[in-house]
Amino acid sequence: MQNFELLRNVTIGQYIPIDSPIHRLDPRTKILAATFLIVGISFNSAVIANVIFLLAVLAIALISRVPLKYVMRGFILGLPILILIFVMQLFFQGWVEPSGRVYFEWGFIRVTRYSIQLMVISLIRVVAFIFLTSLITMTSTTTELTHGMERLLEPFRRIGLPSHELALVMMIALRFVPTLAEEMERIMKAQASRGADLGTRRMWRPDKAAKNILPLIVPLFMNAFRRAEDLVLAMEARCYVSGEGRTKYVELHNSVVDYAVIAATFAFMLLMMFYPWPSLHSVLAGYGFDWL
Amino acid sequence: MQPIIRLENVHHTYKPESNHPVKALNGIDLTVYPGEYLVILGHNGSGKSTLAKHLNALLLPTEGDVWVKEWNSKYAENFRSIRSTVGMVFQTPDNQIVSTIVEEDVAFGPENLGVPRDEIVRRVDWSLEQVDMTSFRHRAPHLLSGGQKQRVCIAGMLAMQPDVLVLDEATAMLDPLGRKEVLEVAQRLNKQEGVTIIAITHFMGEAVHADRLIVMDEGRIAMEGTPHEIFAQVEQLEALQLGVPQITQVAQALHRRMPAFPPDILTVDEFVDAFAEHVGPAQAPPSLPNGNDATADAPRGETAAVIELRDVGYNYMHDTPLEVKAIEDVNMAIYPGEVVGVIGHTGSGKSTIIQHFNALLRPHEGVVTVFGQDTSASTTDVREVRRRVGLVFQQPEAQLFERYVGDDIAFGPRNLKLSKEEVRERVRRAMERVGLGFEEYKDRMTFGLSGGQMRRVALAGVLALEPEVLVLDEPTSGLDPQGRRQLMSQILDLHGQGTTLTIISHNMEELAEMCDRLYVIADGTTYMHGSVDEVFAHRNDLRKMGLDAPGVTAVLDALAEAGLIDREQTAVYTVAAAIELLGGLVDAKL
Repeated sequence: MQNFELLRNVTIGQYIPIDSPIHRLDPRTKILAATFLIVGISFNSAVIANVIFLLAVLAIALISRVPLKYVMRGFILGLPILILIFVMQLFFQGWVEPSGRVYFEWGFIRVTRYSIQLMVISLIRVVAFIFLTSLITMTSTTTELTHGMERLLEPFRRIGLPSHELALVMMIALRFVPTLAEEMERIMKAQASRGADLGTRRMWRPDKAAKNILPLIVPLFMNAFRRAEDLVLAMEARCYVSGEGRTKYVELHNSVVDYAVIAATFAFMLLMMFYPWPSLHSVLAGYGFDWL
Repeated sequence: MQPIIRLENVHHTYKPESNHPVKALNGIDLTVYPGEYLVILGHNGSGKSTLAKHLNALLLPTEGDVWVKEWNSKYAENFRSIRSTVGMVFQTPDNQIVSTIVEEDVAFGPENLGVPRDEIVRRVDWSLEQVDMTSFRHRAPHLLSGGQKQRVCIAGMLAMQPDVLVLDEATAMLDPLGRKEVLEVAQRLNKQEGVTIIAITHFMGEAVHADRLIVMDEGRIAMEGTPHEIFAQVEQLEALQLGVPQITQVAQALHRRMPAFPPDILTVDEFVDAFAEHVGPAQAPPSLPNGNDATADAPRGETAAVIELRDVGYNYMHDTPLEVKAIEDVNMAIYPGEVVGVIGHTGSGKSTIIQHFNALLRPHEGVVTVFGQDTSASTTDVREVRRRVGLVFQQPEAQLFERYVGDDIAFGPRNLKLSKEEVRERVRRAMERVGLGFEEYKDRMTFGLSGGQMRRVALAGVLALEPEVLVLDEPTSGLDPQGRRQLMSQILDLHGQGTTLTIISHNMEELAEMCDRLYVIADGTTYMHGSVDEVFAHRNDLRKMGLDAPGVTAVLDALAEAGLIDREQTAVYTVAAAIELLGGLVDAKL
């Protein structure tokens, strides 16, 4: 059975409307802090440092009071690719970088201490990366993010980056997602009422599939263009000028907390990049465990 | 007084360089004074929207001059001053909103003007207050109703503190409630804030409150005057493809019988006063007109219903945490040969209900039977159901996709895998049934047609399936009075040819004229049903729900209220029946 409601489930960056210290942060702080954390960890390949980093990210997730199950949903999306990467690293990295103890070797497969380390680190980094990005979208509205991006990119205006225009384009795109989804639903229903067989016909024949999609795509585009023309008129009627000479209604508020968060994450980045983190096996060997 | 807008011999030609230049304005002279409420009427294509876009320099005259205060629109450096003096609200509210948050959208104009932030805050507060949308300031626009969105657009203009507000068919896409909201805002701004209003419309009822009316035709000003002056000239208006308000139609019919009765009546109060003065209380009750006889009630029992909904419920986002109830406990039956009307607010669930009629939606609760088949049963051939029950959506022209008219109409028959000759034959029949000549239109470009013609092509596209039941969702919305009349009479012809009809409409007069039975939908359920008489007898309940009885009924109610006619005589729902009743009273008096 056809489900015409599919498109209504389109939600970009599912914002979770609860209150938490993370929700209250300035969107700029969140973007900056996440960037510092990610850059910091990207330059560090010590297992201990990566584990500390993962714990820190989990702590942030807990503070944000977003259900962890929800966050994990983003992880499942990337799972097939991740598994592929891990398997490749585990089996073949040992050949690329023949250092450290060899645990297992069979044919073209070679598992070494180094390849295991690398796998663990990549796993942590991917999980942390997904956590951080989804935390940003779950704790800030799309509007906040748009404004945050705009202000952060503003210094780059001088070198010709159209920060305001980019933000406006993003805003308008987000504004029209639900409108166009509704429209698509209506078109699908109307064509089905005229006997169109949507989605069931031989989709492996690209020519037929393309022919089936025309009755949906053509009206959708025609209507989108009409909307765009209307929008241009409406914006002109409201004296739209790009960039210079505009004032801003939305104010972003930096509090002491914001500065503290930025400072802390910046320090974290430096720590990750420049502190000589010991390797896990040498630490364990110091305690008499030398089986690694 | 200094005029605020002045047009001198304005001409406008679209595509002047091309082989087919289109002359839209043809020498317009117009002066608008501060504080005026000006209404511009005209059929589709008369040039009224082109004129509107000249008032704030969105279009520039190809000949002649437009002055706003002291600024001539031909100089680009004046655009800003002109556009912040003359605000404009367009037809489709969705296409004017830039932001994902209401208050930020309202701030967009002043931001563009470089207004300091403190002042923007003050203006946003004030503008939202003016349109009564303050409590929605943090909402996302797509969650608002049409009328609310249009009020946000007005607030967005007010935030630029314009002296003039142009409403370019701003009510055309709204339901009656939304239209009323927008008009009230416009009238309040005009009276209390002294904002000059220029409203472009083809609803005659909206013209009644204007200080001055202008009627456009072929790019010229064809008529100009007060509403009383203009609406007294019925023949001329009809020649310009317009009509007069219903109340004026009745007054004019009485004027023909009794020359002393004023023909230029525009409001209920005026009508009651005139009736009291010239006719007085009814002497003897004349025989009741039989506008809608009660025998139409239902052919129930002997005939089986073609479509039957029993205790039907449907939820959106079914099986997700965001599940919302759309309809519940809906009971309806459509019998062969009937014309059934469906009334209800936007959002009351009526669109969801009719999508069950052809199995686009299948109920989560209850049973839908179409031609004796349960639409939820796996054995039911859904495509067969959709062939027998044709569904025409709102503004169906938005779903056309083929380059040529004939191909678009053939989409349905081709899906039925009919032979080439049969497809051709069906396209021909369908086109003729909507009044489009087959040879003349089949090879025309679909997207080059006028709005009214495109609507007919879309209707033909459904008729080509030769359905036994035709379901129409607001078939005449957005059309001008003449387009409305034509389409309605074609739809009635279909009924004459044996098609069962179900019509959703906000136009109570149309429904009262056409329908055998009415269903009233409220809060996702069937609130009331019965013959036209039975349903409109509960018009006080309908009014409480924000729905309305036909306009003429309000006149009769007011007459009864004033003791001029009997209560029992108010059961009149069409202009023709009202003229018959009141004409009889006038005749008795003479």
